[in-house]
Amino acid sequence: MPGLTADSGNALVPLSPEAHVSVVYPLHHGLKPPISRLSISWSRGNALRVSVFRELPAESGDSDGEAGGKVVQVKLGVADGEVDDAQWRRIAYGSVSPFALLQSRRNSVLALSKMSMSSSPYHPDWWEYVMEYSKDISSLLDNAKSLPNSVIDDPKTVLKKVEEPTCLKAAWGLLEIFYADKESQAWLPEQIVDWLADYDILFSGTQATVHSKLVEFQKAIVRLQTIEDDPRYWEVITSALAVGWLEIVVKLLRLHGSYQLDQLSNRETENGLVEAVAILISKMPRMRPELEAGRLGECFKTKPDFIKAWEKWRAQITKLDCSSFWVQCDHRQTRDGLRNMLQVMLGNTNNLCTSTCHWIELYISHFLYVRPFTVGLESMHALAQKCIQLKPISSSHRLMGLIIGILGENTEVVLAECSRAFGPWMVAHAIELLTAGSDQAEIILQEERDNLGGISIEELHRLVYAQVLSSHALTWQIAPIYLTSCMKQGMGLLEVLLYKQPVQDNQMLLKTTEICRLYDLESISSSIMKIAGVYHWKHGRKGSGVFWLQQARDEFRLNRIAQQLFDFVGRSISDESFKQWEGLIELLGSESKIAGGLDFLHKYRDFKKSLQQVQVGKTTDAAQQAVESLISLMRNPSTPQRFWLPLLHDSLKLLSWQERPLLNVNQTNLLLNKLQELSMARLRPDFIEANLPPQALSSVRLALATNLGRAILEE
Amino acid sequence: MATTKSPPSHSLQIHRLPQSQYIDAVRFLPAFSGLDRFAVLALFDTHSSSPSLQIHSLPKSTPPSLNLQSSHSLPKSTPPSLNLQSSLSLSSRVSSLSLSLSAHKPLIAASTFSGSLHILLLDFDASVQSEFSVPEKSLHVGAISCVDLQESGVECVSVGEDGRVNLVGFGDGSRLTYRRVWDSDGLVSYTAAKWASPTEFATGGFGFGLQWWDLRKPGGPVSQFKGNWAQRTTSGIVHSIDIHPSRKHTCLAGGSLGTVFAWDLRWQQQPIILSGVGTSEVATHSPCESEVWEVKYDPYMQTSNFGNVSSSRILPAMLCSEDGILAVVEQGEEPIELLAEPCAINSFDIDRQNPTDVICSLEWESIAILSRP
Repeated sequence: MPGLTADSGNALVPLSPEAHVSVVYPLHHGLKPPISRLSISWSRGNALRVSVFRELPAESGDSDGEAGGKVVQVKLGVADGEVDDAQWRRIAYGSVSPFALLQSRRNSVLALSKMSMSSSPYHPDWWEYVMEYSKDISSLLDNAKSLPNSVIDDPKTVLKKVEEPTCLKAAWGLLEIFYADKESQAWLPEQIVDWLADYDILFSGTQATVHSKLVEFQKAIVRLQTIEDDPRYWEVITSALAVGWLEIVVKLLRLHGSYQLDQLSNRETENGLVEAVAILISKMPRMRPELEAGRLGECFKTKPDFIKAWEKWRAQITKLDCSSFWVQCDHRQTRDGLRNMLQVMLGNTNNLCTSTCHWIELYISHFLYVRPFTVGLESMHALAQKCIQLKPISSSHRLMGLIIGILGENTEVVLAECSRAFGPWMVAHAIELLTAGSDQAEIILQEERDNLGGISIEELHRLVYAQVLSSHALTWQIAPIYLTSCMKQGMGLLEVLLYKQPVQDNQMLLKTTEICRLYDLESISSSIMKIAGVYHWKHGRKGSGVFWLQQARDEFRLNRIAQQLFDFVGRSISDESFKQWEGLIELLGSESKIAGGLDFLHKYRDFKKSLQQVQVGKTTDAAQQAVESLISLMRNPSTPQRFWLPLLHDSLKLLSWQERPLLNVNQTNLLLNKLQELSMARLRPDFIEANLPPQALSSVRLALATNLGRAILEE
Repeated sequence: MATTKSPPSHSLQIHRLPQSQYIDAVRFLPAFSGLDRFAVLALFDTHSSSPSLQIHSLPKSTPPSLNLQSSHSLPKSTPPSLNLQSSLSLSSRVSSLSLSLSAHKPLIAASTFSGSLHILLLDFDASVQSEFSVPEKSLHVGAISCVDLQESGVECVSVGEDGRVNLVGFGDGSRLTYRRVWDSDGLVSYTAAKWASPTEFATGGFGFGLQWWDLRKPGGPVSQFKGNWAQRTTSGIVHSIDIHPSRKHTCLAGGSLGTVFAWDLRWQQQPIILSGVGTSEVATHSPCESEVWEVKYDPYMQTSNFGNVSSSRILPAMLCSEDGILAVVEQGEEPIELLAEPCAINSFDIDRQNPTDVICSLEWESIAILSRP
């Protein structure tokens, strides 16, 4: 598989060989030995669930009061020392908006180009969007706190204290320089110079660098009486010059003893030479559009202008180098030090090599003084190889692999390095820069591959990152953003992710269904709500169970639970406890279509209510209303058969109303028919006998017959 | 996504403070000392799986009058910061948080998802003076959905999805007493509660239902509001209720589908809908279309036109929602959007003493503090 390490075979994610170092995780289970059995399974994310079982003494059973076992979670730490978990989450949250914005811009640009049938799929200003994205992401990678700037500017503080940058930000900066920042391609060498100035500190950890030298010297500087006598002074100055930190060089030069008022008179020539070098340094031509305030050098935007200035500047250096003033300078260290600096500025390879520490510093010094207009990655790569030969690296730094990959123009290597050194977040987000870099990279990354199951490398890495997000309880909600940007597998995995979310808590459930709503996954959301409904129902929360099943429009389950509810109603509904039911019945609504068989409850409640009024007021009107409810209940096919007799028994009073018969002939016939049906049903084995006095049936029958007689007479 | 449209954004100050812990709830502590202002955060640390309750002090914002002339000449006033004062670890995550003043000392009631209730009495320096708690399974079966302390802080009502309504009292100051007001045996679930007067409170639940309770009339709610207004096919849940101390007859509720409505006890079955996508009439005005997690009357907006507000008009209210909106809605007016975040805003609180300031908790482990002009 191209782009991934060769030895990983068919693995989707390259496994780094360093991971084979064994780590010991102490387990605090607090159980008394002997432990008889261990069971290990994966929990959420990279946590292991270890179940520890004790061997119970056979004779005493479990009477010793100790637990028989315990479940412990072990978090397998793959912690990045530089960025902790909370910081990673902060980066993950922050990168959602830039990523989503870039995706939506890509989609609209693609839609536009389809309409206009233009040959190039992207807008000419596409890279501007990519650059904006890159800047947004880069701003997330800053350390949270910045050190307060010192108010007093100490002249002896040559090196300003800054918050230590992260390798992650340095890596992102490199990718931005090489792939996204199309506008500054012409000034690439200067960009790398700036990059090193910001991040040289990162290499100090493993070996000496110009930065570490400066830090050392900064500590010593206060104790030095005559700074120019110290060989370290000249060493540090030349090193800083070699990597182009001109401000520091000039600042250090101005600390030279010859500037002191009492010495100025007898060290005039010496001071003149120091100042001449300082001026030459501050006039150094730089091929870049601009410099920040306070930075030294003269900017030239175009190559011809720059070359002219460059030649002129070098001529000035050569002239100074050959001048006769050197002979008049008595201070040996100053003389040698300054001439060394001139050699550096003239690009003397030996001097550059001795004054730099790390190969990348040597590399930068070549850009500054030997080949300032190096263009083309090929020659840059060759130069890098040469520098590495001159200054071999003892231990590999994770940024080095990335730099070499970039210079080697090998997209797969760059990706693999990003993945190995910085993890899935980096790869998923860096791909956006890589695809913007060149058409060739775009083809490699977006081509669908059979060995990846028909998906592209781009999609693969987004899926991997989405999996990482999904495995944490706080970040799973942003995984859908990445999953939906994956054309082939994204939606399927999103469905799986949503199904896996817990339904016990309503707030979590609503957050899940909200995501379903955003991505038009109605079937998923209704399945989840069904699961939730059944869960709540089973845990005795009948109201919320019914609510969720209603939301899911699950008539089948509503009908099923209706049967259970009716059993419950048949047993428990007395006139007093009806108030308890009130809320549930309100929830069911009167004309709700998705109540299943439950609308019976609503009608039953209405009937009971009017019956209650009859008992209190005994008015014929109220009684008539109760009869209407009774008839509509008996007509309704959803009224369960087992309620027929109790209903009729409850309304005995209505059937034998004193003043006049309340039911007409038709109504009475209907009820008699129902009674007949009931008698037939009694013969069936699954008939459930209502909990009524034994003479209930006969008394209802008698009342109905009487009523029928009276009704016929009346008509 | 993260753009604020309507408000005069040049004067609205927003500060986001990352916490690196999930924030379950956030509240301003009612002012009890003139010098400091405190906020209570219910946090959950996912790394160690430990929930906690933290009290932070945050500097008071400078009044706008002092800021006027200095807007250009001086560097910006120092951004607000949260400074941890005291922290208390809990056994389970906080499901609801309610604060009040009792004998001039702040009182915090925190209910948990495991069903326990914790009541903290704070001292004048915001340290915990005494803590009382009711263990799990004694008040509710399962989680407590919502707790609300009385304004005077004598009693606390707790409701749950198990359908129970409990009253917790701490009259004598040494221990808690509790009694069950109602048990619907799971037939009705309650998700929100709010006191209206020392004897009356409102609860809310599924199907946009609201219940009115009067302790003088035991045996169930004295009044119920049906949520099925307008022939709707989808329904929702009430997540939050607010009742204005000067208008105890009106119950303001916020819930699913961006819904905010008011139920006036004097016009029982006709709700006044302030926002929501479920109904056609206000759908165009609705600032959000997802779950409204919290709703509160906004005392800041009220001052602008207090003179001509009739008692039937609903006062302006602030809401926060799952789709990341913090907005003020007013009857018959366009909503004012204060914050539009790419993630959910789960809870917010308005500083009672200084109603220009709003604190809210964001899904992505951070706190936002807003200062309105």
